[in-house]
Amino acid sequence: MGAELFDLRPALAPLVSAVCAGLVMLVGYRPGWRAALAIAAAVLKFGIVWSMLPGALAGTVYAISFGEILPGLALAFRVDALGLFFALVSSTLWVAATVYALAYMRGHPGQQRFFGFFSLCVSTTVGIAFAENLLTLFVFYELLTVCTYPLLMHDGGLKARRAGRRYLVYTLTGGALILAGMLMIWHLAGTLSLADTGILGGIDDPVALATIFVLLAVGFGVKAAIMPLHAWLPAAMVAPVPVSALLHAVAVVKAGAFGLLRLIYNVFGVDLMRELGYADVLGAIAAATIVLASVIALRQHKLKALLAWSTISQLSYIVLAACLLTPAAALAAIIHLANQAFAKITLFFAAGAIERGTGATRIDELDGIGYRLPMVMVAFTIASLSFIGVPLLAGFITKWYLSLGALEAGAGFYVWVMAVSTLLNAAYWLPILYRAWFRRPGRYGTTARPVSLLMRVPTLICALYVVILGIGAEAPAMPFALAESAVRFAFGMLGVAP
Amino acid sequence: MLVPITVLLPVTAAVWIAAFGPGRRAAAVVSIAVTVATCMGCAVLAAVATFAPPSSIELTELVPPIGLVLRVDALGALFGLTVSLLYVPATLHAVGWLGNGPRRCAFLAVFLFCLGAMLLVAYAANLVTLLVGYELFSLVSVLLIIHRRTRRAFRAGFKYLVYVIPGGALALVGTVIVFFVADSVVFTPGGLTAMGQDDATLRLAWACLMFGFGVKAALFPLHGWVPDAHPAAPPPFSAILSGVMVATGVFAIVRVLYEIFGPVRLEALAVMPWLAVPAAIGVVVAGLLAVGEDELKRRLAYSTISQVGYATLAISLLEPGALTGALVHLANHAFIKGGLFFAVGAVAVHAGVHRVSELRGMGRRMPVTATLMTLLALALIGLPPLSGFIGKWLLVSGALQAGSGSALVVLLIGSVLAALYLWPVMRETWTPPPKPAPERCERRDGMLLAALLTGALVVLFGLGAALTGFPLALAGRAARLLAGGD
Repeated sequence: MGAELFDLRPALAPLVSAVCAGLVMLVGYRPGWRAALAIAAAVLKFGIVWSMLPGALAGTVYAISFGEILPGLALAFRVDALGLFFALVSSTLWVAATVYALAYMRGHPGQQRFFGFFSLCVSTTVGIAFAENLLTLFVFYELLTVCTYPLLMHDGGLKARRAGRRYLVYTLTGGALILAGMLMIWHLAGTLSLADTGILGGIDDPVALATIFVLLAVGFGVKAAIMPLHAWLPAAMVAPVPVSALLHAVAVVKAGAFGLLRLIYNVFGVDLMRELGYADVLGAIAAATIVLASVIALRQHKLKALLAWSTISQLSYIVLAACLLTPAAALAAIIHLANQAFAKITLFFAAGAIERGTGATRIDELDGIGYRLPMVMVAFTIASLSFIGVPLLAGFITKWYLSLGALEAGAGFYVWVMAVSTLLNAAYWLPILYRAWFRRPGRYGTTARPVSLLMRVPTLICALYVVILGIGAEAPAMPFALAESAVRFAFGMLGVAP
Repeated sequence: MLVPITVLLPVTAAVWIAAFGPGRRAAAVVSIAVTVATCMGCAVLAAVATFAPPSSIELTELVPPIGLVLRVDALGALFGLTVSLLYVPATLHAVGWLGNGPRRCAFLAVFLFCLGAMLLVAYAANLVTLLVGYELFSLVSVLLIIHRRTRRAFRAGFKYLVYVIPGGALALVGTVIVFFVADSVVFTPGGLTAMGQDDATLRLAWACLMFGFGVKAALFPLHGWVPDAHPAAPPPFSAILSGVMVATGVFAIVRVLYEIFGPVRLEALAVMPWLAVPAAIGVVVAGLLAVGEDELKRRLAYSTISQVGYATLAISLLEPGALTGALVHLANHAFIKGGLFFAVGAVAVHAGVHRVSELRGMGRRMPVTATLMTLLALALIGLPPLSGFIGKWLLVSGALQAGSGSALVVLLIGSVLAALYLWPVMRETWTPPPKPAPERCERRDGMLLAALLTGALVVLFGLGAALTGFPLALAGRAARLLAGGD
């Protein structure tokens, strides 16, 4: 590991979008300013985060601290490989999501509030990614909950308010559990740093360790939508499409999954996790979630509901992979952060474009839609094939490493879980593709209105990225090498290929 | 550099046709030119592979440390040449069959894409690359099966997917297990060396791969999609499906048996009867079903299951002579069966005849097509000096070399059944028509030309079987290489 370097950028990245968010709140009543500021927030942060990639690949760790807020506890940022990978994914998708949201929300009321909180969300997400210690992570994690709440119930209807309430109940409870776990760690280990591979090595009280694990796993598991903590996610479908994209692909669920990765790799550490065996239990729950959520997805009639259940299933890939505690599986866990994000955001963008263009929200209204919205449906096709695991698309890479990691861990059973998940994914994506491309256009297919290019282009770009992730993961400017170095760090294999 | 160009050329053309939707003439010219150029590329690669040792070229690191790697050895060269050579008449036939019909560009684009994906399978240097090509054409070719958009086509397409998707998933599982136990998936003649000692895991990997690829190879009892997909698909694609796509499954099985596991380890694992017995059952059962089937394309589809079963049976003997025979038989069968589908397609389009019982008088109505059909049927039965004879001869002598009397019996039963299910076709064709005689309806178009080309190839491969660069020489070299020779 290279030098630790004091640098402003880790703090600057969340700050620019926070400042822009503030400005949107102030002067955002003018549409031009609002759009410019929202785009600026996304693009500036995108630039700052990506500018750290070459250094991080060379082994540099950028860090900055704002002094102690409690004795021994600093509000500090530190950009390691795992954090930067997450930040790269979310800040890249953010640009696409912002452009899309500007087009999608045109004409909606309350845009000033919407874009203000929208920009704040990504600011907090990058804060989570770059957090040096658990406390910083927790602060931004809770801020993310607060910022997404107004977005979630943007429509203001009864259903939206009810979904928002459910979301708050779930995530705030989760937050409280994290806080409790964090306090225990602080009490027992005397540090909350995430800079190392495990800080609990000195504790040999099994009850305390188990309590910490359960508290934090449940706390983060709420946002990662592990069953049975998932109920808020399908309910949250009432939100506008860009917000769903935000919840499902970029920020919220990813923050939960990222928290679990931090818990396993940085708080407990791989060695301790192996010794304790908690990961087996969590892994089994995740595997059950993968299959069950897919089975439920099979029975959905609404496109967005199907996407929600698919998200629950796909997120558990990350959790399962992390729980296998082998290098290949860890690689699967980290790159699936990106693979799931790009494919799922494509699907949400497509669902939004379909809703905008034709008013269709149910799956049986999608007959012949491929010929009405070809660009959007091509993107949709690519993304859904990626979830099935067709080679040369991103999903195949995840499946490969996850299966390999399961074998390495001596858990061959999970290879079969992967195979079953492939079949289930085929069983709910292919009928949609069949409807879209091979049925005669129904009522909804024929009344298509033009969909703004600003909605179609981000959709297609995200789909192209799914292809790029599937073919050229090793290309020079891709973050794959970053994932590899994160794995090497977590497993203490410096200089060895995973 | 020629290898990636050869593989990517049809894919590029497919993307171009799909994206720009050129007019009828432009699409036809481009797709024929591209298949001819691809075929020439494959011929050069085959010529090089006959003399030079293979060298590999990496396209991209797919799942590090494994990449998409291409390599041309004798086995791959033979298969690649067979595929691309059959594609030339098939594209001619497709252009003729499509005419002014709907979705021309979509058909040609997917058709050419499948060529690229199959060449990727042929020239794959490791199991992951092979799997990628295999999955791609497996999934994409469903678009060709449902091309006609009839209820029957959709049903056949659905059935096809029901077989192929679990097959692909199992092949992936098998591949992952292989990489886990051997830490490599590179095709190595004689098998991967470091493969662990855990027999149960190896058997599981073997079973997964055989299931996965057996679906495509129409291995009994995984053949259910074959008789439905063939009549549903347009004739040019039926020809490709029967001629080379089914063979792709067998080709993948050869790669796995000889270059992943290796004959020595397979003997030790004692798994080969589990491949040989289903193959033998397939030969007999599919032959019997073909005898009782009236619909022409279904009869030919059952015949394919039976004929490809020969090859699988011979391969499972793990004997170089039988392997040579199997490879030659597959190559020759591709052109014979492809040609039969071209002829049957022309008959269906011009005369509206789909059943054996309706063939009466076809010798008068479409004399050239009927002659070709007879010639190809005789070749399939194995009449010398046509090409089908060469493969049968080698298969039988290979079975004798391996000392497998039961395989010999199955091969002979299969041959008798082939005569039984093809004889009515010829008899009906040449029986004089009832009065008043229907009009002649033969036309000189791409469909006839395609059948003529394959007919010529069948004669050529029969008469000149021993020439350098022909299937026999390549197959012999491939078998020697796979057995670990020169």
